[in-house]
Amino acid sequence: MTRAKIIQYLAPFTMVFIVLLFIYNIWSHGTIVHPGQASYKVNCAQCHGEDGEGIKSLVPPLKNSDYAAKNIDSIPCWLKFGLNHPIIVKGVGYDQPMYPFDTMRVDEVQVANIINYMNQEFFNIDKPVSSQWVHAHLKNCK
Amino acid sequence: MRFSILYVALSCIAISSCNQNDSLPLYGPKTATLVEKNGVKTIDSADYSIPNFQFVDQDGKPVDSNTIHGKIFVADFFFTSCPSICPKMMKKMDEVYEKYKTNNDVVILSYSIDPNRDSVARLKAYEKKIGFESSKWHLLTGNKDSIYNLADKYLVSAAEDPDAPGGHIHSGNFILIDKHRRIRGYYDGTKDDKVQKLMDDMDILLKEK
Repeated sequence: MTRAKIIQYLAPFTMVFIVLLFIYNIWSHGTIVHPGQASYKVNCAQCHGEDGEGIKSLVPPLKNSDYAAKNIDSIPCWLKFGLNHPIIVKGVGYDQPMYPFDTMRVDEVQVANIINYMNQEFFNIDKPVSSQWVHAHLKNCK
Repeated sequence: MRFSILYVALSCIAISSCNQNDSLPLYGPKTATLVEKNGVKTIDSADYSIPNFQFVDQDGKPVDSNTIHGKIFVADFFFTSCPSICPKMMKKMDEVYEKYKTNNDVVILSYSIDPNRDSVARLKAYEKKIGFESSKWHLLTGNKDSIYNLADKYLVSAAEDPDAPGGHIHSGNFILIDKHRRIRGYYDGTKDDKVQKLMDDMDILLKEK
């Protein structure tokens, strides 16, 4: 059997396999999983909560956060360098420092994925951001 | 016949393992002392226990061994400017607090491992952020060396480390202590299932005489 024939023979099976994976993904999660969800869970949910609810007056909520929605351009900097000044979110003051990401573990593509996930889940912002957008905004961090 | 012996053996193992679930282990080394009674020398062994301590809480009130006398307690180590695991630990400890806040036999002690910065006022501000009763959940500060020594006695780690987030490293464990100040369990305070196990074990411990 030639190589071309092997590929010809395997191609339909591969297609079926990919479709099955896709169906399994939807079946097991109820929806198509956002690429930023897993990174959010690992890096953010410990404090901000899986549903972005925050922790009392210790950690601000992300869900419907007016502060985050107003400062979308600063989010890449917060994720990379942390946040060390008091802020007001939905009328409540917060002054605990936020710990930045381990930049060895999270690259700009993942930061973009996480921001897109939060935009969709918590901030009701439709416009997706790219890793280039993250890269450009990281240059302006104070 | 052989099978019936096997069944008996298996059911014995099953029963004994069931019983084990109803009692919690004791941690730490026993201390042995030689006692002489009526000319006969015997070894008297004592269980490991947390030594006496005295610190002040978020109200500036002293908290010592008398404050917790006859109660079971949950202890952990934290600091108010901790940016990494502490918020999650506080959230889980708050769940423990909510469950046992009306139970007079339970106290929670959170020791600050950054006592130089964590003043009484700062601890009070931290309490207000979470919102709990200071007589039930004491946030403790005091002499730094004493706190670090006490962490050793709880058999957990706490240290200063300039490279760590917030400048300190510490264990994220919740430690369960019985009425005789003996260590009865360690639970990862950042994990939902482990904190649930802690509360299950507290219910077992509260029934213990």
